[in-house]
Amino acid sequence: MSEKAEKRVNGKTGAPLSWIKQHWGELVVVAGLILFPYVFSLLSGTSVSQGATKFWQGQLIVMFIMAVYAMSYDLLLGYTGILSFGHAAFFGGGAYAMALFLTHVAPKVTGSYRIMVGGINIADLLMVLVGFLLAVLVAVLLGLLFSAVSSRVKGAYFAMITLAMGQAIHILSKATDFVEWTGADEGLHGVPVPVWLNPTQFRLRFYFVALAFMLIMYLVTRRIVNSPTGRIFVAIRENESRVRMIGYNPAVYRSIAFVTAAVIAGLAGGLYALWTMSATPSMTSSALTINALIMGILGGIGTLIGPMLGAVLMEFLGHFFYQWFGARWPLVFGVLFVLLVLFLPYGIVGTWRLRRLELRQGWQRFLRLLKPEKE
Amino acid sequence: MKIKAFWRENNTLLVVALILLVLSVFGSSSMGLEPFVRTTLSGFTLSALYFMVAAGLTLVFGLMDVLNFSQGSMLMIGAYAGWQFYTNPTFLFGLAPLAFALMAGLAMMAVLHPVVSNWRIPEQWQSRLRALIIVIAVVIGVLAVVGLDFRGLASTAMVATMVAGNPLAEATPQEPLASFWIRPVLLLLSGALIALAQARPGDPTVVVHKDQTRRSGMVVAGLLLLVVVATLVRESGPLAVLTMNGNLRFVLALIVGALVGAGLGAVIETTLISPLYVRPLYQVIITMGLAFVISELIQLLWDPLPYAMSRPPAFSQPGKAENIWAFFRGGNTTVDILGVTFPSYRLFIIVLGVLMFLGLTLVLKYTRLGMIIRAGVQDREMVEALGINVKRVFTLVFALGTGLAALGGIGAAPFVPVEPVMGDRYLMQGFITVVIGGMGSTTGAAVGALLLGLARAFGDYLALKFSLSPAISEASTVIIMAIVLLARPAGLLGRRE
Repeated sequence: MSEKAEKRVNGKTGAPLSWIKQHWGELVVVAGLILFPYVFSLLSGTSVSQGATKFWQGQLIVMFIMAVYAMSYDLLLGYTGILSFGHAAFFGGGAYAMALFLTHVAPKVTGSYRIMVGGINIADLLMVLVGFLLAVLVAVLLGLLFSAVSSRVKGAYFAMITLAMGQAIHILSKATDFVEWTGADEGLHGVPVPVWLNPTQFRLRFYFVALAFMLIMYLVTRRIVNSPTGRIFVAIRENESRVRMIGYNPAVYRSIAFVTAAVIAGLAGGLYALWTMSATPSMTSSALTINALIMGILGGIGTLIGPMLGAVLMEFLGHFFYQWFGARWPLVFGVLFVLLVLFLPYGIVGTWRLRRLELRQGWQRFLRLLKPEKE
Repeated sequence: MKIKAFWRENNTLLVVALILLVLSVFGSSSMGLEPFVRTTLSGFTLSALYFMVAAGLTLVFGLMDVLNFSQGSMLMIGAYAGWQFYTNPTFLFGLAPLAFALMAGLAMMAVLHPVVSNWRIPEQWQSRLRALIIVIAVVIGVLAVVGLDFRGLASTAMVATMVAGNPLAEATPQEPLASFWIRPVLLLLSGALIALAQARPGDPTVVVHKDQTRRSGMVVAGLLLLVVVATLVRESGPLAVLTMNGNLRFVLALIVGALVGAGLGAVIETTLISPLYVRPLYQVIITMGLAFVISELIQLLWDPLPYAMSRPPAFSQPGKAENIWAFFRGGNTTVDILGVTFPSYRLFIIVLGVLMFLGLTLVLKYTRLGMIIRAGVQDREMVEALGINVKRVFTLVFALGTGLAALGGIGAAPFVPVEPVMGDRYLMQGFITVVIGGMGSTTGAAVGALLLGLARAFGDYLALKFSLSPAISEASTVIIMAIVLLARPAGLLGRRE
């Protein structure tokens, strides 16, 4: 065993220093994200909660939420090998659950009750938490419904059925019958988000909330895919009949993966509803499912970090594409997506992992050229 | 014994027919005859449309295990192409030379092959040369269309739709021939370079037969002739089409829509789908991405607005025809059927759908192509082993499927709004249809379309009765799909795994 590998093994049991050494890349990214608003405000000369700094905080918040959404899709496509085209239904379902609750129920509760803890009224906070709980509940119910209908099919057939059901949810979210509740085509706007979490007034606070949300979700998802259940997900992707032979029921585990991904997407949707203070039919549309796909393929499916990177890239590029190409900028992404599927199917992270050794060898060969010749 | 065997073979169909019969007796007695007949006829119209989308889906899936998620977009493209052709074909005529030139270039593969395969190129340079050629081809292709006013060409039909009156007045002048001719030439060059890369210069291992070269040469010559003709009639063509008899123009629009859809389908199959047969999941993903691209492209060209295409003159004389025969003489907008006033154009759609079903069944049953398709659905490897060029059959069937969907699109255009969400809407309904009917079965698609169309029509009727919006009935068609899936996962007439 080489020295390096030994160190790695020791690091798992040993001192915090080696833990830091092992995870320095991730820690640097997290530290960079925490410091981002302050560094950016220093560089741009605007105050932390104003101007360009505020704007880019907003961009990052969207990136964080979309990263979680893309990650949830990766759990399905990349790890379990399930192709679902109804994923936006969960995101939108979470968003609608949050927005509907905060608009129609929460004001009545906070108007008539006060829940005091240590002299602070936490009714608002509770309402947001209940909103998230409802988002989870909606996501679980939708996920169970989807997987109950399609439990006996897989592959492209599964994709087809989820697409049909996702479309049905989208149509319902636009239906004029529920106009007093959902606002039909327009969607719900001006959702009464608690003042202390208002994304326009307290952008920095919301930034940290979104950042924490993303980190927690990343850790949770990573834990899931590294757990025994997660191993079974991967096994289903690789060879379903073998999984069945070993004695696991693939249908059950596929449903578990599906509902888990639905819950994560629903939570992301709930936070997105808080961020935009609205819930619109575009959040349930198939275009959003395609976005998850594009993010995943761009970053590399089956890597967790890849789709998050893809989401960040897509939001970042989208910002500039909007300036360059106008309202139809998704077209550029669509074309890019088709080319990616054809020529770079493992995405950025996946290709990097495949080619890492080659690149490193090439780099070392290059270094060797520069070394002084030994006698 | 015979009855028993008949029952065993057709029990699903018979049960469905029985249920429909019971429901119709019940419905006609409770709804009253007039609304019942009207709703049933509307249901048949929808059924015809759904069948047109689903037929291609089920054929392609049955033969090649590819689920085409851009099938709805093909219907949409058919609708837009037909609408353009019928209302103001400037856009189509303006782009036709370019499309033909590119196709002529791409078709040169077999022609170039005998020349380039004997080139002496070191092996390690071959793939690099191919990559270089493709890069040059793409650059030339981009250069060829730079500065072409796509949106300006596209807006002609938009204007013609919104400004009622003489569409001839809206035929806008196009780029002069003196500067236009370079574009088809460059595209021809670009296509030829891609064909050159495909012919793999210096690689004598690829075998192309002599008769294949001869056949390709004829195709290229024909396409080149088309390029020249299309370049020359660029400006006079639209005028000639617009001054034509409206009915003839509509028939031509049907043909053009179907051909555009089929051509696009062939291009998609050869360029996007066939490289991915080793990765089936990515095939689905790429067709989904394609649907997204098409919908965005259409919104770019024609804005996200709904357009109403006018009906051809044979269906637009004001007044009601007493019966079908009177309609044939008068060409009225509505016909009296069993005491119900029904739009005559919708009857045309029903007839079109039935004809398509019959035609498809006959082709599948009695032609050589149909025989190959049926055999391929049963056992693809065996068909390949018997020496049939499965690749070409795949392209053909894919093109057939998209062409049928596009024909459905242009057929539907005169009575549904032509808009960018068409694709998503009909894709969903097409999927539900094939799930109900069972994958790989044309009859199944027909039965599924019949059930779904009737369910939609009666759902709309009920929704209206309970003052709900039609969106509810559209969304609740998913319930039918769920029931069928839970009872028979392979669909009513699908193969059981």
